[in-house]
Amino acid sequence: MAKTYDYLFKLLLIGDSGVGKTSILFRFSEDAFNISFISTIGIDFKIRTIDLDGKKVKLQIWDTAGQERFRTITTAYYRGSMGIMLVYDVTNEKSFENIKNWIRNIEENASADVEKMILGNKCDLEAKRQVSKERGEQLAVEYQIKFIETSAKDSLNVESAFYTLARDIKAKMEKKQEASNPAGARTGGHQLRNEPQRKPTSWLSRCSLL
Amino acid sequence: MSEVEHKETPVENEEKEYVEDGKNKFIVKCKFCGSRILDKKSAKYITLEKDLPLMQQDNNRKEGEIQNEPVNEFYHVENMYTFENIGFTHTVANCKYLSCADCDAGPVGYYDNDTKHSYVAISRIVHA
Ligand SMILES: Nc1nc2c(ncn2[C@@H]2O[C@H](COP(=O)(O)OP(=O)(O)OP(=O)(O)O)[C@@H](O)[C@H]2O)c(=O)[nH]1
Ligand SMILES: [Mg+2]
Ligand SMILES: [Zn+2]
Repeated sequence: MAKTYDYLFKLLLIGDSGVGKTSILFRFSEDAFNISFISTIGIDFKIRTIDLDGKKVKLQIWDTAGQERFRTITTAYYRGSMGIMLVYDVTNEKSFENIKNWIRNIEENASADVEKMILGNKCDLEAKRQVSKERGEQLAVEYQIKFIETSAKDSLNVESAFYTLARDIKAKMEKKQEASNPAGARTGGHQLRNEPQRKPTSWLSRCSLL
Repeated sequence: MSEVEHKETPVENEEKEYVEDGKNKFIVKCKFCGSRILDKKSAKYITLEKDLPLMQQDNNRKEGEIQNEPVNEFYHVENMYTFENIGFTHTVANCKYLSCADCDAGPVGYYDNDTKHSYVAISRIVHA
């Protein structure tokens, strides 16, 4: 059967326990009186279809078990994932400090070209904040990773974060394809599909979210 | 007798206004939020009997008890990436339940871990 989509990206949510990974994947429900059957069992992953510059992109987004410590996480954990959302909780200093450990763990265990993004979640809890937005931004600059503050509770920036990560993975893949097929001009008919020349992504534009 | 043997697909399937060529004629959407679950003509119509937990469990039910109802009509999805938007729960008794990716309503069907096929309960979705 013909594929009905252009790209399939597997994405992973990781970070310390309690930072809000499950809440980012699961719609935040305040209605404690109506705990549904689904929320009792919990979501393993979601499939979402988005449109990126006219391409149909399927995202398979996985939650991860929070009890797992980064020390115990190995290669199998990251297998096949092309994008990783590193989540910390802006009201929890420790979860922010651990982002560095998570990044090291990814470098040791995940595929070298996995796209990463840092999310400072629970930004609705201003009064309880322990990590300033500036520190989040600084960390992102240090690692050259995009960063955005989110609130799973208010659905703030969650969707746009996934779009951003997906767009970066797509750009990286297209760049790779071009590199492995530099003689694009000779492939005649196929050239049309290579579409408008995208501007080379400079490091500055990569950090436009900052 | 030979007349009977020549009968092909069950006549009743032909009569379903939402089935065409054995597939879903319309887009499949979430009943509650309208989230798009399946594109039209992407899944096969089948009948089979399966007990599914109720979308809304009675809060006064006995602890640990799950209220089910039998469901008979499904859309059969062989490849999970056929779905437009869908959630998969953690595994329970070798199956995962399907839920709306946008409002988390469910189960709207189930996924069989052995065959890796998914089944969307037609009584729990709307066509558009
Ligand atoms: N105010 C606020 N609370 C949040 C937000 N995101 C999550 N929470 C709350 O934080 C707690 C932990 O959230 P989870 O989504 O369970 O965290 P998790 O990262 O999945 O935790 P583990 O599964 O243990 O790894 C819950 O009580 C959530 O309601 C947010 O954006 N704002
Ligand atoms: Mg969790
Ligand atoms: Zn829904």
